Amino acid sequence: MKKIQILTFLAIGCGGAIGTVFRYTINIQTVSLLFPLGTLLENLVGSLLLGFLTGWIVNMKLSDIVKTGLGVGFCGGFTTMSTLAADIYSLFIHSSPFLVILYMGTSIFGGVALAFLGFILGEHISLYYRNTKKEGEM
Amino acid sequence: MNSTLVMLGGAVGAMLRYALGLILMKRFPHPPIPIAMLFVNIIGSVGLGLFLGVLFSKSVNPDIYEEPLFLLVGLGFFGAFTTFSTFSVESMQLLRDGKIKKACIYVFFSISLSIAFFAIGFWFTLSFI
Repeated sequence: MKKIQILTFLAIGCGGAIGTVFRYTINIQTVSLLFPLGTLLENLVGSLLLGFLTGWIVNMKLSDIVKTGLGVGFCGGFTTMSTLAADIYSLFIHSSPFLVILYMGTSIFGGVALAFLGFILGEHISLYYRNTKKEGEM
Repeated sequence: MNSTLVMLGGAVGAMLRYALGLILMKRFPHPPIPIAMLFVNIIGSVGLGLFLGVLFSKSVNPDIYEEPLFLLVGLGFFGAFTTFSTFSVESMQLLRDGKIKKACIYVFFSISLSIAFFAIGFWFTLSFI
């Protein structure tokens, strides 16, 4: 394996570890609730962040290591699909179909909408940043 | 201690997701919908279902957040192995490209198959182990 690949994996491992421990910290604050608010928040915020990152790299160069460390590692580790599946199963068995629809709907529509918002913000802020940087150089 | 277990599981899960994603993208370079993370999320969900089924049938700690194995494997590994942010961004990109039908198919299969496979894994271990 090339050195760059090893570094990429290490970056993903570090980002994943930090993202996961953030998720854990939020989960233990919200575990007493009957609704999986923690996972919902994590998935929504993570979608916004990854959307921002995706928009940012349209205009600004970012090294592969930073990009994968933040995107694949942090955002990927912070958000989760398996817990969402387990939450929906558990809500369906122990709670009401209303909460299943509420949780699923907010996750999907909120996640996609926030990814879109993040993308637009990232694209615009990086463009602004690039232009001001260029003016500074002149 | 708990945080260390979570971080360890998360680090391994994220790296394995990346590795599997690379392999899948190499095998299927031009899929009609982004199947790499679709597969990863399905595999991770069935994995979590199997794991929780085993864990619950062994009747562990009533507080699951104090159970070391859950923190390492369930919350850490499977939690980080699967991802929601990439799902959101990939759906958003399909919509931005005007591929509305593909976006709907991708969202539908990602969510429904993850839930279905979690349930299959969970039932399987609860019934047979």
